Amino acid sequence: MAGIEIARVVKAYGATPVIHGIDIDVRDGEFVVLVGPSGCGKSTLLRMIAGLESITGGTIRIGDRVVNDLPPRDRDIAMVFQDYALYPHRTVAENIGFGLKMRGVDRAIIDKKVQEASEILQIGHLLERKPGQLSGGQRQRVAMGRAIVRDPKVFLFDEPLSNLDAQLRAEMRVEIKKLHQRFGTTIIYVTHDQVEAMTLADRIAILKGGHLEQFATPEVVYKEPRSTFVAGFIGSPTMNMVKARVAPDASVIMLEGGASMAAPPAFRRAAGRDVLLGLRAEHIALSDAPAALAAQAVIVEPLGSDTLALMRIGAVEMTGRFAPDSGLVAGKGVKLMLNLDHAHLFEPDTGLAIV
Amino acid sequence: MSDAIRHKLTPLEKSERRLGFAMLAPAFLLLAAVVLYPIAELIRNSFHFNHLAQPWMGTPFVGFENYVKALGDDRFHEAVWHTVLYILVTVPGAVVVGLGLALLANKPFAIKWPVRLGLLLPWALPLVFAGLIFRWFFEYNQGVANAILRGLGFEPLNWLTTPSLAFFAICLAIIWKSSSFVALVLLAGLQTIPKSFYEAAEVDGATKWQQFREITLPMLRPAIFVALIFRTITAIQTFDIPYAMTNGGPGNSTETLAMYIHKTTVDFLDLGYGSALAVLMFIVSALITSIYLRHTRRDPGRH
Ligand SMILES: Nc1ncnc2c1ncn2[C@@H]1O[C@H](COP(=O)(O)OP(=O)(O)OP(=O)(O)O)[C@@H](O)[C@H]1O
Ligand SMILES: [Mg+2]
Repeated sequence: MAGIEIARVVKAYGATPVIHGIDIDVRDGEFVVLVGPSGCGKSTLLRMIAGLESITGGTIRIGDRVVNDLPPRDRDIAMVFQDYALYPHRTVAENIGFGLKMRGVDRAIIDKKVQEASEILQIGHLLERKPGQLSGGQRQRVAMGRAIVRDPKVFLFDEPLSNLDAQLRAEMRVEIKKLHQRFGTTIIYVTHDQVEAMTLADRIAILKGGHLEQFATPEVVYKEPRSTFVAGFIGSPTMNMVKARVAPDASVIMLEGGASMAAPPAFRRAAGRDVLLGLRAEHIALSDAPAALAAQAVIVEPLGSDTLALMRIGAVEMTGRFAPDSGLVAGKGVKLMLNLDHAHLFEPDTGLAIV
Repeated sequence: MSDAIRHKLTPLEKSERRLGFAMLAPAFLLLAAVVLYPIAELIRNSFHFNHLAQPWMGTPFVGFENYVKALGDDRFHEAVWHTVLYILVTVPGAVVVGLGLALLANKPFAIKWPVRLGLLLPWALPLVFAGLIFRWFFEYNQGVANAILRGLGFEPLNWLTTPSLAFFAICLAIIWKSSSFVALVLLAGLQTIPKSFYEAAEVDGATKWQQFREITLPMLRPAIFVALIFRTITAIQTFDIPYAMTNGGPGNSTETLAMYIHKTTVDFLDLGYGSALAVLMFIVSALITSIYLRHTRRDPGRH
């Protein structure tokens, strides 16, 4: 087991930079998820840790070794690929034992380890099959078995669940979490699915265009997003983001279109400024209070456990999360309270949080 | 196909099928004219006496006489033996060289044209042309081979007039010429192997040689098989290159079956006997083709 230190790491393909100096410190045994939109450089960063891409600048350490110039096989890592990379001409058992066989491990030991791993992953009955005769979820398990038997210092996953349907994905997510709890091995896991990131990670690294936007626990990332990008990326439905202005004495905040509310003391930091006001759906509530804002339901989406509704408040629109029995009807006028104690303020130009 | 559910064709399907047949007809008629008719004529001829130098004999039916004659014809046996030797040497030779070329061409080189030229030039060149180039290459006085030998301080060799050397030179020419085709087939096979297979192996600790043995070779097996069969079928008909380089000489030492058939019919004007030999060659080719067809039909089930 080992921690990983990524320091000022840069990657360029020819003259095109794709990773612009990223610092991430992964503690020993930690589960870190790299998340971000397509093309943000998550796979590239992971592959640099694996040694499958060269490192243009900066250093990567695994344990206390700088691995920049170490070939993949000497980094003591195991990787699970998006397409699983299972060899179609080999049986499940041979696929799982492949890494051990390549390293010249004794036949009997390989058999024993393959047996153990396949029991943990509940694929013991499939050992003699070829990958072509397995379902997607079973293949996924075989790919993980192949990584487990190596007993490496670090597991790397590149979007391992993206080829599975939603239900299987949820199931395998649990499976991966169990594996981490069982082995305690350091894991770096790439996904573009924020739900996967939130549920699996000890800490989440959110990338955007080759930059690290925020690196923190799921809770912090959710409650204290460092930028509008993080705020919009994490959480579902997406955080509401509306233009607003804080009064010079910070007593009220005016939404675009004129609606105004009393501002909480914390807004003093943005006194007299134009801001982007970020508010999650759960912090919007129906209310009869005299200070409540007049609004109109535009779209109502019942989800069963709760109901999402897009509300128009003056010139702005915000999605709120309401109880399923709140009797919302599209087109009907309602009165809303925004819980500004949980609101976020962002700089309109840079998108950075105002703290 | 045969156990697909049969259903009544709708009028649209019927008219589509008719259109399909109509569009196939020209190709089919052409095929009949240039392939089926000559084969039928060949088989008919092989059961008749037909010697253009002896027109007064007519073309009487002789049954299997021509085939019986082949059984006792030493020159025929030798030609068959030479053809077998060419197959045994040049087919594996071309596959090995072709595999090397394909692996080379599959590498991300900064400058691609030398590899591509090396890959495509022999393929684009007409066979006789290749034969002539190699004949010049091994020519006694001005040939490159002897120039190299002289440069290294050795005596020049009579490449094309010594039976074993001539055989060697011809094999070299055939391998050079045919390895591009093999390389193209194998390159197509190589490009179907996902990159992640090699990356996973790399992470798992496999050396380059292990990756070749554990991934490339097994994944390439179907392509290698196709290349082997196609190469074998064309090798049975080996003609142009030995024809251009030695014309079967010295003596008959490099003469192939196809060359002997050619000589029997075109030079000796014995159409009946030549036809019988051609039929024999055709049967062997057909046998190998059928092995290939049976194998490919079975193939999907194995995966
Ligand atoms: N071999 C390459 N040559 C040039 N540019 C590349 C190469 N590989 C990746 N890139 C670029 O690097 C950037 C990051 O790619 P990367 O594959 O890491 O994205 P990603 O975050 O994994 O996206 P996805 O979610 O789509 O997998 C992209 O803009 C991509 O176009
Ligand atoms: Mg990716």
